[in-house]
Formats: sequence, C-alpha cells, structure tokens
Amino acid sequence: MNTLRIRDLTLGFKGWSGTVEVLHGISLHIGRGERVALVGESGSGKSVTARIVLGLLQSLRSTRLSGLVEFEGRDLSKLSERERHALRGTKMSMIFQDPTSSLNPVYPILTQFHEVLRRADPAINLTGARARAEKALADVSITDPSRALDSYPFQLSGGMNQRVMIAMALANDPSLLIADEPGTALDVTVQAQTLRLMREQVERHGTSVLFISHNLGVVREFADRVYVIYKGRIAEQGPTAALFEDPRHPYTRALLDAVPRITGDGIPEIEDASDAYFAPTEVHEGYGEPEGAA
Amino acid sequence: MTHPLLSLRAVSKTFHSGGREVKAVDNVSFDVAEGECLAVVGESGSGKSTIANMILGIYPQTLGEIAFKGAALPGRRDLAHRRAIQLVQQNPLSSLNPRRTIGASLRLALDVHGIGEKAGRAERTGQLLEEVGLPADFRTRPPAALSGGQRQRVAIARALACQSELVVLDEPTSALDVLVQARVLKLLADLRKSRGLTYLFITHDLSVVRNIADRVAVFEKGRLVEIGPTASVFEAPTHAYTRRLISAVPVVTVAEAALRQRLTEDADAHA
Repeated sequence: MNTLRIRDLTLGFKGWSGTVEVLHGISLHIGRGERVALVGESGSGKSVTARIVLGLLQSLRSTRLSGLVEFEGRDLSKLSERERHALRGTKMSMIFQDPTSSLNPVYPILTQFHEVLRRADPAINLTGARARAEKALADVSITDPSRALDSYPFQLSGGMNQRVMIAMALANDPSLLIADEPGTALDVTVQAQTLRLMREQVERHGTSVLFISHNLGVVREFADRVYVIYKGRIAEQGPTAALFEDPRHPYTRALLDAVPRITGDGIPEIEDASDAYFAPTEVHEGYGEPEGAA
Repeated sequence: MTHPLLSLRAVSKTFHSGGREVKAVDNVSFDVAEGECLAVVGESGSGKSTIANMILGIYPQTLGEIAFKGAALPGRRDLAHRRAIQLVQQNPLSSLNPRRTIGASLRLALDVHGIGEKAGRAERTGQLLEEVGLPADFRTRPPAALSGGQRQRVAIARALACQSELVVLDEPTSALDVLVQARVLKLLADLRKSRGLTYLFITHDLSVVRNIADRVAVFEKGRLVEIGPTASVFEAPTHAYTRRLISAVPVVTVAEAALRQRLTEDADAHA
C-alpha cells in the first residue's frame, strides 16, 4: 500500500471575482519509505498540495476541491476534521523553510518538544519527554542535547534550529514527512549538512518523504523520484537520475538550466512564460501512476 | 596611475557585545576596479555584510581606510557619496515602502539627488522601469501588487535612478526561486555592460557568482582567505574553506559533479 496517493486533484479558491484555479488535476503517489520530490517555481501549486495532504485546506470555506487524496489507504475527504487533526504531528509531520520562525520564541526547546511528544503520548511527563528529546537530538548530531533543550530558539544558530525541527518532526515516527524547502533560508554549507542529516534520519526511520523545492539541484541527491509541477499541472515525472540525464519536458529543461553551475557556462536565457511549458506530462517509462479503484 | 574605484586598506571592525569584543572584520585589504564585478563570499558570520555596511557608510570602520576614486571616504557621507554608492538588499519587500507606489519610491531617489529636470522626473520613473524589464505603468502600483522578482527589479531600478557608480548587491537573488534568479542575474549582467557599472556582489552561495563575477573574494570569520579571478578560484581553489564552500553547492551536470569530486579529493589529500 502506498503511503500517499493523489489522483486528479483539482483546487480552486473562490473569491470576489470568481474562482481561481490553482491545481488542474494532479496525480502522484509515494510508496512506503520512498523519497519523492515535487519541484516547481513559486505559484506552481507545490505548497498548496502539501497543505491539502496535511488536511489544512479542506475546511476552508473558499476552497473548491475535487479528486482523491488517500493517506495509508484512507480517503482524507471521508475523515472528519477531528480525525484529520489527529493525524497531524503523529502520522504525518512537516519541516518548514525557516526553522527559526517556525519555532516559538517564548518557550525553550524542551517545552516545545514535550508538546510534540504529547500529541502521540498524552501521558508523557516532562522527565520522560526530556529523556526522549535528548536521544532524538543526539541522533541529529547535536553535541550537547541537554543544553540545547534548555535554550530558546533565538539562542541557537539557524542550522541548530533546523536540526531541532528535524528531530521534532521525526520524534513520533510519522509515516509521512513533508519537507517544504528545508534549509533554503540557511547558508549553502549548512543546507548541505541539513539535507545529508535528514536523508540519514528518514532512511533509519523508514519514513516516506514529500520534498518540496524550487531548485532541482537540491533534490538530486535526496529524492528517489521527482515530479516537476508547472502552474498546477505535472510537467514531468520519473526517477531522479533519468530526469537529470534525459529531461524531456521544456519546463524541466528550463528549471535545470536555471540552476547556477559551478563550472561556469554563462548566464542562461530563460523564457518567462512559454506555451511549450504547458506541453502534456512526460512520464518516464515504468514511472506512471498506479492503477486501481479509489 | 589611475586609482581603483574602491579600495580597502587594512580595514577592521570590532563590535562590543555583552562586554566581549567581536572582531567582525579583521585587517582586510582589497581593490575593486572600475567596471569590475567583485564577489564577496562567505557563510553567516564571515563579515561580508559588515564590509558592505562600512562601504555604504552605515557605520565607520574601527581601523584602516576605505577610499573611493583615490580619496578616503569620510565617516559621515555627503550626498554625492551616497548617490555614487548604492545598495540592493536581499528582501525587496522590506526595502520598498509598502505605503508608496513604485513610481513614488523611484521618484524619491530622483528628488533627493536632484536628478534631471523636475518636470521630466515622472516620465523618467517609467523609463527606469522599462530599463529593468518592467512595464512603465507599474508606476502606479504598490509593492504588494508585484511578485518577488518584479520587486527586486524595482529595487535595482532605484539603485540605478541616481546614476550610481558602485552598486553593492547584498544577496540580491537569495530570496528568489531559481528561474527568477537566473533572469535577475541576466538583467544585472546586461545593465553592468550597458551602463559601465561596478558591482560588489555579496553572497553565501558561490555558484550564483560563477557567471557574473570577474573576481571572487572568500571570507572566513572576518578574514580574507582567498581572492582571485573567478575561474581559477572555482577550478583550483587554494584554501580549504573555499573548497568546502564549492562542495556544498548542489550540482546538476556530470561536469559539475566531476569538479566537485576532484575538489573533495584535493581536500582529502591536503588533510
């Protein structure tokens, strides 16, 4: 069974001047323990897709949703708001772009870690939380976990906060981790370390990952498979290596060209918008969507 | 002999924080020639933004001299210096006044520095927008109605409005996604050529400056550890820290992966 399966998902936001269509029927799946990247520019619909998976948009009155979102075989639209809430922070968790602003500045790390652990184990006390948190922080190579737990987020560096976020996101052993541009707010060196660490951790926990990014270079060493998304449509999907060796869709090629090269091949000319970007989805052989009844 | 446009001689900056002395910039010397693009690269805490702030006159250096066209820059800058040295910041949303239209923000720069005839300034703002690839009628819009890339173009237009000579670009593309980044870099390269501008390009991501900088200066903990022509810094970096910075860059092509592999092996051989 796939951890996540999305089929023909459409999304629109209803406003004063009619409905704005954001997703035009996207399909994707993530197998158990698989790391899948969703790559596209700002406004492509990658972050709203993550919010739908988390169940955050379903209850919004202005959203128009259709299609199937299935998490571990359960249709999310058939769950109540309460049941969806129960999944967040336990079976699925999320890592955000800027770690320092997604941690609460007025509580020490321990308090926030305790809150996370209580989502899965309401009876856990502060002493128990401390023991588990220390182990989790040691796993993400924080050398003095006890001191980190007593610190406030602003006393730690961006890289440390990012590691705390990773440890928290994996603390309840979720089956799905959603990582929305993790580390883009940090130095490239720290970002590279963070990605290596995240990869190690999800491999150990066997966690499935939906990795969201605008930079194809960043996903190359992290993801097993890639979906490229453009204006709410999937442009290309396939295994990571094949996508880099043989990018078929004009938009994928533009995204690849845009990544600055350390070998220096001049500044690329990239078309702002092109009809070619709307070409039908390119599916690499054997990497289509699984069939089957909803 | 002609003077370099900008020259730093033995410049240091010490901050006092909680009774401790922090040497943010430590005995740094370098020149920027007229028409050149010099990249200043380093991680957070390397002193790169402190250097920019001293050049802009936001605060004075503790020691050393900063000279512009051969004359030492005073701690308090006069209008002419402020006109000649301009800044483009990382986040255009916070560097443009949200309550002002784009046109009014550009107009302010023209008014402060008394550029051109008063009557022609409104029209000039439109031309400035067109020079950075935006429609002239964006004048009437507030910053909130523009995308990140468009806002960064406005910030660039404003830096150009007063016929600046040196533009300090402080992470001008790191808040943008890669496609927009590529287009803004292209614009910066074109403007430099057509207007004969000089750039000081500050970034933590070495790959961004590979195609735009003539030379690269690498900073670590306030010290200048390596400076040289861009190609040689990337292909044969002499300092381990530079190798580490290059190796951290995400790569997409086989040639890049090979270069990174070679640098990693060099690093191991030196260790």
